[in-house]
Amino acid sequence: MNALPFLIIIPLFGAFSMPIVKLIGEKLRDIWAVIISAATLGVAVDVFYTIWKTNQIVVYTLGATTPLGKGVGFPIRIVWEVDLLGALIAVTIAFVSLLAIVYSLEYMKHDTGLDKYYTLILILELGMLGIVITGDIFNFYVFLEIMSIASYALVAFRNDTWEGIEAGIKYMFVGSLASSFILLGIALLYGQYGTLTMAYLSQYITREPTLISKVALAFILGGLLFKSGAVPVHMWLADAHPAAPSSISAMLSGLVIKAGGVYAIARILFSIYSISLNIKAIGWIVIFFACLTLIVGNAMAVVQTDMKRLFAFSSVGQIGYILLGIGIGIAAYGTKVGDIALAGAIYHTVNHAIMKALLFLVAGAVLHEVGTKNLNELSGLAKRMPLTSFAFLVGAAAIIGLPPLNGFASKWLIYESSALYNPFLAAIAILGTAFCTAAYIRVLFTFFGKESEKVKAAKDPGKAMVIPMILLIIAIILMGLLPWQINDSIMLPTAKMLEESGKYVLAVLGG
Amino acid sequence: MIPFQFITAFLLIFMGIYAFLYKRNLIKLILALNIIDSGIHLLLISLGYRLENGVLPTAPIYTGYETLKGTPMVGPIPQALVLTSIVIGVCVLALAMALTINAYRHYGSLDINKLRRLRG
Repeated sequence: MNALPFLIIIPLFGAFSMPIVKLIGEKLRDIWAVIISAATLGVAVDVFYTIWKTNQIVVYTLGATTPLGKGVGFPIRIVWEVDLLGALIAVTIAFVSLLAIVYSLEYMKHDTGLDKYYTLILILELGMLGIVITGDIFNFYVFLEIMSIASYALVAFRNDTWEGIEAGIKYMFVGSLASSFILLGIALLYGQYGTLTMAYLSQYITREPTLISKVALAFILGGLLFKSGAVPVHMWLADAHPAAPSSISAMLSGLVIKAGGVYAIARILFSIYSISLNIKAIGWIVIFFACLTLIVGNAMAVVQTDMKRLFAFSSVGQIGYILLGIGIGIAAYGTKVGDIALAGAIYHTVNHAIMKALLFLVAGAVLHEVGTKNLNELSGLAKRMPLTSFAFLVGAAAIIGLPPLNGFASKWLIYESSALYNPFLAAIAILGTAFCTAAYIRVLFTFFGKESEKVKAAKDPGKAMVIPMILLIIAIILMGLLPWQINDSIMLPTAKMLEESGKYVLAVLGG
Repeated sequence: MIPFQFITAFLLIFMGIYAFLYKRNLIKLILALNIIDSGIHLLLISLGYRLENGVLPTAPIYTGYETLKGTPMVGPIPQALVLTSIVIGVCVLALAMALTINAYRHYGSLDINKLRRLRG
């Protein structure tokens, strides 16, 4: 029995049964949201464990047993195809979404229309899970749009404030334009090769890489860089992520820009195009954007006075590290350096999801208790909110990359591979970290500084908000204690599996 | 020679992008997004009709094509794609309109340049 379809069925059912469940009682609605997301996490862990143990790609065909048509040798059906990378990101998505939902039980208590909120948050989770498990490029587009529309609506969820509306409108226009570019790229690919299955497409492109397929790649890559917030087009991210409710910010910064951005870039580059391209050229294009993102994102974070905006810019900077890993992974394709870089990028994707979720939950707790996120008014929080301040300390230390925490291992892998590939890139990466450290030290001084008037009445938030933070702290410390074991047993096989595009093709088409 | 419907499709897309970049009214921006989408839909739907070596190619879903030789037929997949895409477009349109109404309520204007309060 294949558990894969339940990854979509459970959140979809949970999302649309939410308005009915709400009629029975408000308490039940909250419990229902938690149960549904916990069940999704269970399925995700099961799928990941199966794939990790057997080291086989799982293929699920919708409505049939085999993707191949009757009497023809090519796939005609929609397939879902999960390798280790997809399953790993799916587990991360389900884990952070569960914590965000538990957190919003208390954080969103004073808002109205919460059944719609939980419906949207489950649809957002469903869209991201769909992106990471699909093996059909139009299906990918549909899930991308499900995710995007849910996140536009969630950014503007508090529609009685101008902040949410303005950020929502900006996010929506930029995101829709990016989606249109991706659809144009997919249309061009379909027109050239007449198929939508990623594996079959990969076989075709390897056989005859035409000009049209490269133009299509440019459109798709451009759209995905928009969605992941790479630098020339990062302005929407700095507006949208701070304006959303904090539980949503945690999901947007931790998950959406990964699933709909860097994961999709890695999948398109490695599984569909892989060896049919001039890998040096494409790799250096990605590295160029990565370096720009790295410097600008982290440097902009230093000058912010709004705490959530600072975290959002820091997200832009961290996306730069992940893109740098992917870029070196494709430029040094097939060598040891490429493996390390790719493993570092995947590791950092997971780590950053956990760290940035924790930081945004801390920002939400401060906003909930004190009512402001302006750093100039928040000095001396540490005495009044000790647990929240400790959570921030752990999150900030992890994101800077201090040794006993998880950020160190992934950043080390990226530094190491970039130094081996081209020392200049390592210098840029370290410079980015210097800016990052400056930004977080500033917040740290605010937290532990002299007590101001505003924070006199503040106290640590209630249980529902504290438990997700504690779970995230435990995850950060646990992953920090066993960095090389995790790297050798999970991240390196994931990177290897992503690089072997031949296996990806064979899993669908058969040997 | 490039078929004229492809040229029309790309003209539509570029018109949409031009309007998206140079118009300031929110409703015109929404219309620009829809024009871009229409262009892509036209491109997709015209991909369904093409001649290869003088005959219509067999669409993957229709394996009994040989018995229908001579009957004009187009590929069914692009139509399914465009239908899906139109539905997604309607969702985005509805959400965009809802946000525009809310923006007008908060800012008293539909000018995108007036939506500049978020800074930092």
